[in-house]
Amino acid sequence: MTETVLETEGLKKYYGSTLALDHLNLQIPQGCICGFVGRNGAGKTTAIKLMLGLLRPTAGSSRLLGCDSQQLKPAIRQRIGYVTEGHRLFRWMSINELEKFQRAFFPKQWDDKFFADMIEYFGLPRKRKIKHLSNGERAQVSLALALAPNPELLIMDDPTLGLDTAIRRQFLEGMIELIMREGRTVLFSSHILGDVERVSDRIVVIDKGVLRANCSLEEFRAAIKKVVLSFADSTPAEVDIDGLLHCRSSEKELELILVGTADEQIAEWAKSNRAQKHQIAQMNLEDQFIEYTAPPNHRRLFRWEEK
Amino acid sequence: MRFSALLKKELRESLPWMLLAAIILLAIGGFLLRVQAYYGLSSRSYSSLLAGNEVDSYQLIRYSPLKFTGPWLLVTSIGLGLALGVRHFWITLFTKTWAFLIHRSVSRQTILGAKLAAATLALVVSLGAVWIGLYSYAGRLELFTVPPPAGFFIEGWLFIVLGLVVYLGTALTALSTARWYTTKIFGLAFATVVVCMIFLQWRISWAFAVVIIGIVILLSQIIETFLNREF
Repeated sequence: MTETVLETEGLKKYYGSTLALDHLNLQIPQGCICGFVGRNGAGKTTAIKLMLGLLRPTAGSSRLLGCDSQQLKPAIRQRIGYVTEGHRLFRWMSINELEKFQRAFFPKQWDDKFFADMIEYFGLPRKRKIKHLSNGERAQVSLALALAPNPELLIMDDPTLGLDTAIRRQFLEGMIELIMREGRTVLFSSHILGDVERVSDRIVVIDKGVLRANCSLEEFRAAIKKVVLSFADSTPAEVDIDGLLHCRSSEKELELILVGTADEQIAEWAKSNRAQKHQIAQMNLEDQFIEYTAPPNHRRLFRWEEK
Repeated sequence: MRFSALLKKELRESLPWMLLAAIILLAIGGFLLRVQAYYGLSSRSYSSLLAGNEVDSYQLIRYSPLKFTGPWLLVTSIGLGLALGVRHFWITLFTKTWAFLIHRSVSRQTILGAKLAAATLALVVSLGAVWIGLYSYAGRLELFTVPPPAGFFIEGWLFIVLGLVVYLGTALTALSTARWYTTKIFGLAFATVVVCMIFLQWRISWAFAVVIIGIVILLSQIIETFLNREF
């Protein structure tokens, strides 16, 4: 049986009167790479900080590696790597100083060679101070610092934010280094769906503080469909099909965004509504995400989520 | 090892302020002593003051060669306390590095302990050493004809400890998540009250008691706030 390394139960957080996170129920199994996606202000950072015990929940609880997030002991924290949003490091330290500082907290785990290799791979000058590094270089240092202690669980808060394509790719390759190590779990939040698609095997979608999907990437990819239907005269006045998320119509064409609707059901509906032809259009993950989180019709991805 | 790593980091962050405070105090204090030696109370004029008169402690302090340096020590100590409080707590907030600092294999108590230890060391090392230096320099300039009362020397240390009170007040204000016009200002306001109360005391032992009570109150508030604060 796969062990759950991260678990939240009815996690809720208010900032004053603003609801940032509403009833988050989440389980992340060991050994998966989980992309945590949502729009700006969706509650990703809040959720991550709650999981790490940096924020206090208004209600609910969360557990990391079997330990209550609000009571995380130093020994448990030692097993969790964390890359902060914006790669906030001590600006006055050089990479060497930062390594020395960080190593003191992982006396047995710290992998000198791995850190040195990563710094060399990224081509970073070890004597340069953090304040003189670019945003991308800071991100690379951040990743190397988080990976060198060989954490069982790595949590990264928007690690590729503001990085250019080349640096992002390098960063993701660095992340894959960790993934190659057996049994390691990664949770990373991101706006960039291409990154999620490249490395994740699981996706968690959060929208306005509400969990919208928590499934394998394959399931997510297969569930959201765009169907284009052509009609001889005019489009039907009403569209009633299971899993309808959005409906856009022009004079003789209808575009439907459907969630969890089987191809047979689509074909049957097209036939019963006298569509001349119907076509299931290709969607990339980004389009699927945008459609899925676009207002106004919020529907659950899977029926079991509605139960 | 972990505590010493944290302590080193905090001391390194404090170093520019420690040096600046020490240089300011040393330069101004040393200059004032030399001016006093040149114009003011040399050993001869001090002797004339004493000749045939009974001198009380008030006169001794009033005519003490260190009477001009003492206020500078107080000002520098308060300034250093404020600067360290800002460096250790405000700057960490502004640069958003609290999360990076806190998520590591140490308890929050250890992180706070390292900050407090670094501030205490910074005040004692930079200002304490300069104060001792100035005191012995005054003796070398023969500004003293009689040994000044021990209370005068201790008063200097009282001023140094006041720097710690201001540091704790600044830290508490920085850590508070309340609004400025409500309880956020409490830390700094309380430290100001403690500083003012010192000058209302007739005895140095009472002054020390006030400082210690102030430190205990501020410390208990800081510990409570820091351990429960969201970052």
